[in-house]
Amino acid sequence: MFERTKNIKLSTIKEIELKAAQYPDAISLAQGIPDFDTPEFIKRRVERALKRGVVAKYSLSPGLPELRELIEESLAKDKMYYDWEKEVLVTAGSIEGITATIMAITNPGDEVIIPEPTYTSYREVINLAACKPIFVPLDEERGWGFNIEEYKKAITKNTKAIFYCNPNNPTGTIYSKEQLMELADLAKKNKLFLISDEVYKDFIYDQKSFFSLAQIPELRDRVIRIFSFSKAFAMTGWRIGYLHSDEKNIKEITKIHDSLVTCAPVISQYAAMGALEIEQEKVLEFCQKYKQRRDLICLRLEKLKHVFQFVTPDSAYYIFPKISLKLAKKIEKEKNINLTKEGGVDSWKFALWLLEETQVATVPGVAFGPNGEGHIRMSFGRKEEDINQAFDRLENLFNFQL
Amino acid sequence: MRVILKTLLKNYLKIITKMVLFVHRPTVIAIAGSTNKNFVKQEIKKILREFNFSTRVNPKNFNTEIGLPLAILYLPSGYNEYQKWLPVIFKAPLKLFQKKFPKFLVLSLGTSDEGDMKYLLSIVKPDISIITDITQRYKEGFSDMNRLVNEYELLAQKTKKGGLIILNSDNYRVKEIGKNKEQRVLYYGFKEESDARIEKTEKNEKGQKIILRHQGEKREEQIYRFGKHHSYVLAIGHIIKKELKNNAEIR
Repeated sequence: MFERTKNIKLSTIKEIELKAAQYPDAISLAQGIPDFDTPEFIKRRVERALKRGVVAKYSLSPGLPELRELIEESLAKDKMYYDWEKEVLVTAGSIEGITATIMAITNPGDEVIIPEPTYTSYREVINLAACKPIFVPLDEERGWGFNIEEYKKAITKNTKAIFYCNPNNPTGTIYSKEQLMELADLAKKNKLFLISDEVYKDFIYDQKSFFSLAQIPELRDRVIRIFSFSKAFAMTGWRIGYLHSDEKNIKEITKIHDSLVTCAPVISQYAAMGALEIEQEKVLEFCQKYKQRRDLICLRLEKLKHVFQFVTPDSAYYIFPKISLKLAKKIEKEKNINLTKEGGVDSWKFALWLLEETQVATVPGVAFGPNGEGHIRMSFGRKEEDINQAFDRLENLFNFQL
Repeated sequence: MRVILKTLLKNYLKIITKMVLFVHRPTVIAIAGSTNKNFVKQEIKKILREFNFSTRVNPKNFNTEIGLPLAILYLPSGYNEYQKWLPVIFKAPLKLFQKKFPKFLVLSLGTSDEGDMKYLLSIVKPDISIITDITQRYKEGFSDMNRLVNEYELLAQKTKKGGLIILNSDNYRVKEIGKNKEQRVLYYGFKEESDARIEKTEKNEKGQKIILRHQGEKREEQIYRFGKHHSYVLAIGHIIKKELKNNAEIR
């Protein structure tokens, strides 16, 4: 019984959220949800669709043609050229796109390489497909960048794909063009797919440049790029995203997509059309706000230097500080609790202890892969007041009580 | 109240736009159809700029009763905020005195309900009309397919006498529209009888190689886009280029 699900875990983020819900004054820096509401323009687009009575029926399995055409136009602005009729698939959020992709391109027993720390659900989807996630550590010393030698070591005859998140969740790293091209060379040489999850590509700070391998036409049959409307347009609840690749890949992925969901929710497809018709101003406004919040959280973390070391994120709305082992040991001694294991900080125990002491919810770094151990993820998708209040509590704990 | 204000605004913008078009007399290229309007629009804009013609195109969702006049007048939408409409209302008549009004307007016309096209054509009278495609898309606003097709039929009829109608020969509903017209009609597509005939498309790593035959000339072009619809864009672009070279009336 339950052979398929026995290796699949519920997301640690949700688990922490459930625990945080037991504290009436909890402030959650755990879940990666934008605190903004979906822009009015998008809501009006949906209202119009509802009034016209066009949302009650299935759409074509790959999505509404008018939405896919808008997606092609939007991609072209970013120098990615794909045929909306055959090479774009609208999905029920990015996770459905990821699931359909992994199921389509792998066979049971295949290996998928994941640079980590990275988004928690990748591992579960790979397990679900009866494949094996192979973790390759990102290099914290290089700002959580790739080390290509690690990939070379990880490739075996069973490797089918390299699956990365760019910009990366939870580190906020943007991989450079050079790093990605090295990865592409490796993929070409070993005939691997490259799955690029780019849901945070609209939140990039300090004029940093962003490059996607989907911009290289010669790689279009190897790269499967995934995008979601959730983050860029504050639409997490609408569950709508898309993916694109060469038609021969999309044809196969569509078969899985069709059997999983038939089509993405049609009402959300109209919302996505609204999002693509909207002026980019709203997205820029969100990005500006997140930058302010990133600067704030970095400033507040600076005041806790003896507790956390961090790399300033260039993108997304997460920061991934390393917990001081020295401090963890001191707390263990003073409070007679256990916060370490095998000579390092146990991030799960630390996050639970922090929640209990301050009612501030964070995600233990180990949830993002073994290399994330000893860290916690904090989201600055929350309002500035929440960030300040959470850090007031942390400062009170670490600067005055310990 | 909101409905009354919207009607007033709609009529105000229509009157001003008609006056502006009367004063400046730009050449109007109208693009309609279920798909591909925006790519065609961008291609024509590119061609007109190559010929050094000043050109204005409407943004993709500015193709309806209020959006179209705003695009012609080059004014932003106030959307649902009353105070944002005030400067728009004030600036609209000033466009009558604009010194360098564009020589060409390239406008996509949207129709999602019966009568939409009639309204838009009460504002603009195209010199060239292009119909890209007619599919089931937007059919929900019409009681049957014939009524949707009638919207496009009306566009063809209302194209200026001596003007040009460009039609997709691969879509039989679009092709039918070309019958019995006073205006010149040119067809594009894969079908043998097309004036601008796409003989072959070949997908490659960079995009597509397209072989196009038009007015006795055979051309082979590499484009950096994927999908059949871009070969249509290329064919329409060739027709427009030829017209600009050979037909002084539209220049």
